Amino acid sequence: MAASTSRPLEYLEGLPGMTFNKLYQQPSTALAIFRRMLPDLAKCFVMALLYLKDPLPTQDLELWVKAESKKQRDNALSILGRLHILSKTLTSENVSAYMVTNPFADSLRKALTGSEDSQSFGVFSQHRNEHRKSISDLDEYARRQWEGVLGYMVGTEYLKDSGHPEVSLSKGVKQLLQAGHLVEIYERRTEITKDGFAFVLQDVNTQVWHILILYVESAEAIGMDSVEVLSFLFLLSSLELGQSYEKKYLSPVQLRTLADLADFGIIYQRSPDAPRFYPTRLATTLTSDSSALSGTVGSSLNGPAGPQGASGTGSGFIVIETNYRLYAYTSSPLQISLISLFTTLKYRFPNLITGKITRQSVRRAIDMGITADQIISYLHTHAHPQLRKHNAGHSTSNTAGIPPSILPPTVTDQIRLWQLERDRLRATSGFLFKEFTSLQEYQAPCQYAAEIGVLVWKSDRKRMFFVTRHEQVAAFLRSKKEMR
Amino acid sequence: MPRAVRGLLIECDPSIKAMILKYDEDHHEYIVEDLDDENHLVIKESQLEALKNRLDRDLDEKIMQLDESESD
Repeated sequence: MAASTSRPLEYLEGLPGMTFNKLYQQPSTALAIFRRMLPDLAKCFVMALLYLKDPLPTQDLELWVKAESKKQRDNALSILGRLHILSKTLTSENVSAYMVTNPFADSLRKALTGSEDSQSFGVFSQHRNEHRKSISDLDEYARRQWEGVLGYMVGTEYLKDSGHPEVSLSKGVKQLLQAGHLVEIYERRTEITKDGFAFVLQDVNTQVWHILILYVESAEAIGMDSVEVLSFLFLLSSLELGQSYEKKYLSPVQLRTLADLADFGIIYQRSPDAPRFYPTRLATTLTSDSSALSGTVGSSLNGPAGPQGASGTGSGFIVIETNYRLYAYTSSPLQISLISLFTTLKYRFPNLITGKITRQSVRRAIDMGITADQIISYLHTHAHPQLRKHNAGHSTSNTAGIPPSILPPTVTDQIRLWQLERDRLRATSGFLFKEFTSLQEYQAPCQYAAEIGVLVWKSDRKRMFFVTRHEQVAAFLRSKKEMR
Repeated sequence: MPRAVRGLLIECDPSIKAMILKYDEDHHEYIVEDLDDENHLVIKESQLEALKNRLDRDLDEKIMQLDESESD
């Protein structure tokens, strides 16, 4: 899950300090950031410092960590500093010390003890009605909406007749995807960009964060306070799955955000005017370590695999053999078109497609801007449990040190080699120095170039050398000449 | 008197280098300096894309590909 943490973290770190001040007013934000964005050691530091009355001297804190874990300690402290959670001050004896900064400390204390009344964690709807949504309904809804978004990007239109209910996307969603350079629109035709390809092959949690950050970034442009939107997202992430929440306590900006998020399947409301909303798994897993969508639909693989049943967004529906043949137990048009990006498909059955990963199909994908690593990580994420079981058993007896791969190594290596094939030559831009009259004249500047780290190639026999930058070497030659 | 020439240093397999040398025989449009070892030469910066495309095209034609049509 490390990958999905990094992007929101990077985004947050880029925000000005004032923004943090506003964000941390909300207990839900403080808790969400504490839960999701911090490494374990940083959490320990915060918890230890949270209820101290006075700042803790720096030296005392450093004593907590063994010398050999200095790197982790520095990393934790640096993250806390960058997120404006921990600040350095002086104790009354003028010793440098750490303390948890204020809006954050207050809010986190409130969140932990529940002593707050500002509806920071949403208000349960007490209303019991017959339209109540079950968790599986919500999962189904979230999955369909999210697949709709991805399907729009990769253009599954040609698979429309597969019996899946059409998902209509709002204009806002399409504009957001365009603004994020995930798709481009040429003469009313949607084309996915290189960034878009990278996006669709990521895991769902990372995708959701990517979209939400785009959303927050564009919020300002349509007249919404980005800080308010951001803290509302953190609020949503701390709601409980399967519960409905009252909308009447929300601000106009929050209501507007809510409507937009419904398009992505991040929240569910029966109609835009409904008095209640439900967070879906996409929202509630935003700041937790469990992954969205996967697992929840994985169970449908064991059941009867009708056209609706085995939609297979969940982990584990792809089997790859060492002879590059690929079997994918899915009927989802989205997954089929994703797989077809880098596979030559052969047959399609109601619940299964077969194909082969070939040099041509991989080359085609690479030409579109997909990297070999993206393909491999996609295959890895969606590998069939049987494949996991089989290869995990094999590789434990294998050489130690290499992490056991669940994909056949021949296939992953070959995909990488096919990518390398595209780069048959390595080019370095720079300058060739030549026509030195004597070996002595050649040696000095050549050595100088090596020392300043610009030398890429040299030949003593031909008295030539190649550098990436010429200014310093030229200056060196001139000064030599003047000395003579 | 030493001189500096602008260019791209290319590092490649000897076989690829041989192909580039052969392309250059006709119009001398690619190479700035042949560096006389097995896998290096300097080419004109503007020609890189054209050269890459030409190499890809020719190699795809010449190298026999196994199994693309092998039945499943």
